[in-house]
Amino acid sequence: MDDYKFLFKVVLVGNAGVGKTCLVRRFTQGLFPPGQGATIGVDFMIKTVDVDNEKVKLQIWDTAGQERFRSITQSYYRSAHALILVYDISCQPTFDCLPDWLREIEEYASSKVLRVLVGNKIDREDREIPTHVGEEFAERHNMYFLETSAKEAENVEKLFMQIAEDLMKVSRFLCDN
Amino acid sequence: MLSRGVKQLGRLRPCSQGILPSFACRGFASPTLPELTKDRYPHVKRGEFAKLDQNHLKFFRDLLGENRVLNDPSDCEIYNVDWNRNVRGYSDCVLKPKTTQEVSQILSFCNEHRLAVSPQGGNTGLVGGSVPVFDEIVLSLSLMNNIISVDDTSGILVCEGGCVLEYLDEQLANHGLMMPLDLGAKGSCQIGGNVSTNAGGLRLLRYGNLQGNVLGIEAVKANGEILDCLSALKKDNTGFHLKHLFIGSEGALGVVTKVAIQCPAKPQAVNLAFLGVKSFDNILTTFRRAKRELGEILSSFEMIDEQSIGAVMGHLKVKSPIDNHPFYVLFETQGSNDAHDQEKIHRFLENIMGDGTVLDGTVTNEPSKMRAIWDLRERIAEAFLHDGYVFKYDITLPLEKFYSIVDVMRERLGSDVLRCCGYGHIGDGNIHFTVTTKEFSKDILKRIEPFVYEFTSELKGSISAEHGIGFRKPQYIHYSKSDAAIHLMKELKKLMDPKGILNPYKVLP
Repeated sequence: MDDYKFLFKVVLVGNAGVGKTCLVRRFTQGLFPPGQGATIGVDFMIKTVDVDNEKVKLQIWDTAGQERFRSITQSYYRSAHALILVYDISCQPTFDCLPDWLREIEEYASSKVLRVLVGNKIDREDREIPTHVGEEFAERHNMYFLETSAKEAENVEKLFMQIAEDLMKVSRFLCDN
Repeated sequence: MLSRGVKQLGRLRPCSQGILPSFACRGFASPTLPELTKDRYPHVKRGEFAKLDQNHLKFFRDLLGENRVLNDPSDCEIYNVDWNRNVRGYSDCVLKPKTTQEVSQILSFCNEHRLAVSPQGGNTGLVGGSVPVFDEIVLSLSLMNNIISVDDTSGILVCEGGCVLEYLDEQLANHGLMMPLDLGAKGSCQIGGNVSTNAGGLRLLRYGNLQGNVLGIEAVKANGEILDCLSALKKDNTGFHLKHLFIGSEGALGVVTKVAIQCPAKPQAVNLAFLGVKSFDNILTTFRRAKRELGEILSSFEMIDEQSIGAVMGHLKVKSPIDNHPFYVLFETQGSNDAHDQEKIHRFLENIMGDGTVLDGTVTNEPSKMRAIWDLRERIAEAFLHDGYVFKYDITLPLEKFYSIVDVMRERLGSDVLRCCGYGHIGDGNIHFTVTTKEFSKDILKRIEPFVYEFTSELKGSISAEHGIGFRKPQYIHYSKSDAAIHLMKELKKLMDPKGILNPYKVLP
């Protein structure tokens, strides 16, 4: 129907309140809506981007972080091409939960899924998790790593564009072979 | 249709406990009364009925007691005005029977004395069918609100006609059952009225209409005779199916006092999705695919256009969970296993988004968010009232032409109206086409009617999908029914109500 060559499904997970919805809003609409309520269930949207003059469609699934919705979100991992695992750099517990999230990802997502660790809210001054700690965690678990601020629009575009580029490379590689 | 109970005071426990909601809490924009029907529609002449006198009142008081005969004009006011505030009668007598026997005695007396009667349930109808046109006596079923039996195994409910739909649904939940119909007015509307108007609602797509779900009826004829067709059997082909005479005949053939209804099991899993799409064609594509991919669990499929949702967001400050789009789809699934349902929904959404049919959306099974989403759909009618005057049409059109009425009318009306929009039940091909203006205007009315009916008739649609004919549409019934059919309806009316005392000036031309 639409004119695009690549379609990738990107799923955001992580504790409640780390800023998943804000990252998505910032990227898809260029907005930072303050005072958002918690996501309940799953929100989804489409954003088409250009990579090397090709149209790439990103299907972005923004999941609820709260424990009680966990059963819903699991079914959304399965066909994901990329998973963005988000924590809040000013909130230690959101970082401490990362192993739990990884276990879930291992269990439900495809083994080929691109995994990105994102430390959000770098605009905040009360940082609790130093950059190198996040970096090390990502390295240990074979993940990409990026720190972002949805509020200041820092690295948000880069995060999604890099994912699009990477996924495109992979699928080109698969096509060519 | 009114909004769901929860958001509005007065919706929660209205008539079932004998407390009638005041105007203020029924979502009216302002307390001003509409013009009297006799003045706004001067061509309608009062029939040859007797005028209420003290002797009549004495009979009613002796029968029902002082408290169940309302005679004070201010007490009678809310029974005289319809929910849309389009019509207003001037009856100064409201009767509130508690038993079928009392209904029978009232009608027998009225028939004998040629007193016209307007039967009334929750008074949530949208075609002026539930209020007096002139001074007809209002027969309110509000106090006939008892559940007689619920059979957990067969799922059959037997109850009195004045039970409020939401109350029945709540009671059935204790038995693991639910009502087979659900509509925005559930907090006020009564089952007797639902049956008398063959009300449709939000889940007709899944559970079918009342013609199918009502197993039996007890009704009182105009002469007071009680007709017991209260069979509670799934299968009963013995003679003519007389109950159907009362389903959808809008109180013109008899007053429904009891019903037996087949109720489905309450679903274990409910999910709701709200989607944004860019064209009406995309709604149809989504619907076709939903039927195929969600088939057995799909329980509702509704559409809303941008102007309709704008009314809810603007006037009632209900927030949309997604970005602005020209059209919205709301679909619900009901099933017995949440994991299965979610897997189906997810795959469906992935596909439908993958090809660009759906741009944006949200899906949830959390009750509070589901209610917030349903509000966007169910409070539309209420929101329109805040515009001023509402011209509302409830029509069925072939699905491909479902939205064409809005496009055509926008061209005809241009910028002379506040809104010209549509929303409704895609699953049933039923659109609620609506035009709003600051105040009633004969000129606008002339530009809408009879064109909207001619247009519908040409497309072989129905000029009244689920709201009935009532007072507002008898002159248009011929657009949807043949002369022979209308003739037989009149013959039936003559046979069952020879003096024409039941709901006069309505349904038939």
